[in-house]
Amino acid sequence: MSEELIQIETPFAFNAENQREFDELIGRYPIKEAAMLPTLHLAQRQAGYITPAVMKYVAELLEVTVMKVKDVVTFYPMFFEEPVGEYVIRVCHTLPCALRDCKVVLDHLKAKLDTDIASETNLAKGTTADGKFTLMKVECLASCDVAPVIMVNDDLYKNLTPEKVDEVLDNL
Amino acid sequence: MVEERRILYEHLDVPDINTFDVFRQYDGYTRFEKAIAEYQPEEIAQMVLDSGLKGRGGAGFSTGEKWSFVPRDIKPCYLCCNADESEPGTFSNRYVLEKNPHLLIEGILICCYAMGIETTYIYIRGEFTLGKKMLDAAIKEAYEKGYLGKDIRGTGLNVDIYSHPGAGAYICGEETGLIESLEGKRGQPRNKPPFPAVEGVFRKPTVVQNVETLCNLPFIVGNGVEWYTQMGPTYADTRFDPPKPDANTGTKLYCISGDVNEPGVYELDLGLTCTELIEVAGGLRGEEVKAVIPGGSSAPILTHYELDTRLDFTSLTLAKSMLGSGGIIVMNETRNIVDCLLNIMKFYAHESCGQCTPCRWGTPWVRDIVQRIADGNGRKDTITRPKFGVAENGRWGDTGETEEIYEDLDLLESVANNIANVDTMTWNTICVFGIAVSWPAVSYMRKFRPEFEATIREGKLVTLPVAEATVPPEENYAYQQRFVPKEFADL
Ligand SMILES: Cc1cc2nc3c(=O)[nH]c(=O)nc-3n(C[C@H](O)[C@H](O)[C@H](O)COP(=O)(O)O)c2cc1C
Ligand code: SF4
Ligand code: FES
Repeated sequence: MSEELIQIETPFAFNAENQREFDELIGRYPIKEAAMLPTLHLAQRQAGYITPAVMKYVAELLEVTVMKVKDVVTFYPMFFEEPVGEYVIRVCHTLPCALRDCKVVLDHLKAKLDTDIASETNLAKGTTADGKFTLMKVECLASCDVAPVIMVNDDLYKNLTPEKVDEVLDNL
Repeated sequence: MVEERRILYEHLDVPDINTFDVFRQYDGYTRFEKAIAEYQPEEIAQMVLDSGLKGRGGAGFSTGEKWSFVPRDIKPCYLCCNADESEPGTFSNRYVLEKNPHLLIEGILICCYAMGIETTYIYIRGEFTLGKKMLDAAIKEAYEKGYLGKDIRGTGLNVDIYSHPGAGAYICGEETGLIESLEGKRGQPRNKPPFPAVEGVFRKPTVVQNVETLCNLPFIVGNGVEWYTQMGPTYADTRFDPPKPDANTGTKLYCISGDVNEPGVYELDLGLTCTELIEVAGGLRGEEVKAVIPGGSSAPILTHYELDTRLDFTSLTLAKSMLGSGGIIVMNETRNIVDCLLNIMKFYAHESCGQCTPCRWGTPWVRDIVQRIADGNGRKDTITRPKFGVAENGRWGDTGETEEIYEDLDLLESVANNIANVDTMTWNTICVFGIAVSWPAVSYMRKFRPEFEATIREGKLVTLPVAEATVPPEENYAYQQRFVPKEFADL
């Protein structure tokens, strides 16, 4: 993807707070490119997902090609290239959670939100019609002692049952 | 009953231990102060070597030895703290980061002093939002109190610590994957050598160390090597003349999950048995233990015949498994091993970084075979193949006999062994992720072959009773799947 080929509707730029954070970040590394992941995290927090405009902006900031940014974005599951819901619900489904019935939690969420599970290449599939929730499966969240677990945006919820899931969703 | 010995986790539940002042009340940073006041950097490195501390992140490599490979004359040298805890079944680092981050900072300071390192990156898993928040707050406080930054406590020592978030890729836990990721690229592991100790992040010597490993350092310095080495068994490795001590010293943060009544992290001396650990964790949830995964999902499975295996680095290596990250997953009699393997293979198929062909294609292939078997569509044709096992010369090889095996089981084994061969311990891949795939695949299949066979035969998932699901060790070549030097086995 060369830069001319990217259709950029609305350009992206950091707001003042993120700009400050970025300025602090960039000084930590001997090469600018190394600030890639934290910069993308900042940008995603501001923009909601990584748009072509974000990639172009980050590429300019870090003095790398847009292709390089795209390369990184596609590698890591935490970066989204499509819009996601206001609340991203990550359901762990690796073995220890599976041994503690995470499937019940997942099925309950699917039914309750009336949505499928997002795949990495199709986030819309797991996003509710009102754009409020995106439901996805993730691998072990390093909380197997309190399995099954889910993460809603930045918060972890433990020892879940369908009733507790209802409670979590009601309190959002 | 085995007692917990809390050292790293001793003050974990003290309210506000995450703040500098409270941490300080519990001897916080005094071990670092002792290190700089009483010892030269080389002496600290020697102490760590003598302590026998082994890396807690997965490979179990001697920390002191790793430090000795770092060239002292190339500067800058970096420390990367591996806080990318993502091995399924492992969750001990999370608690340190969330509850007691100053302990990690103190460990890092000691390592930096010993190795002449001025910059540390803590690569923290992207999902650990709370952990990162607590850690960042602790780092900020340590700067304010003069324990980080320039000229620490007037000693001329400069140390900077930065936290660096990952973004959800398991492979970034592999040390060279971590380094690539830290440099702002895809987290695709590098070929070794050169090892990170010689050429790591930004092409400079780099020490990569797990959170738990670093948290051991304050206690080694504070209480001395002698105190440290009395914990845990030390074996004699008789392959060397004179025998070399093979240390399994210190405590381990065992993470136990699955079918036990009280899953959690238990800090215990290395070297207790599976049975003892299950007992410590509130006993089994269910009637009988069917299987135990001893070291995170990458480790070969143990059957109910092997529950007296001691959970330390050496004993598990001799049992052809590994302690890995210390994530112990227990399965009771209701579990289906085919189903468990399917879950794990989905994980690996998802997490392969895609660099090497055997891993990129082989891992989904293994997953698909297991999926097919679990769905009841396993190929029922059988083939006759040479039977492998311990041959006459005592080594792994062709026994001269033949055996009948379902086509899909042979295929499963063959695909997995072509990613990484668990019998010869050679891998056709850049990193040992390959081994982490074929180890579970081959060990589950070989050890629980009756269950796999029943599932294929019946055309649906069949869960056999524990006694029938596996074959006794004497009759099962799975237990001899790897050549272990005789002298070592006699320990
Ligand atoms: C596929 C793979 C994943 C790994 N994941 C982790 C991890 O999540 N955390 C960790 O500390 N080490 C992990 N390791 C081990 C590291 O490569 C490395 O050995 C370790 O960080 C070294 O630190 P230590 O000597 O203190 O254990 C992983 C290794 C492999 C091959
Ligand atoms: S073995 Fe797999 S994970 Fe490791 S470098 Fe190769 S493709 Fe990547
Ligand atoms: S398997 Fe779900 S948190 Fe580890």
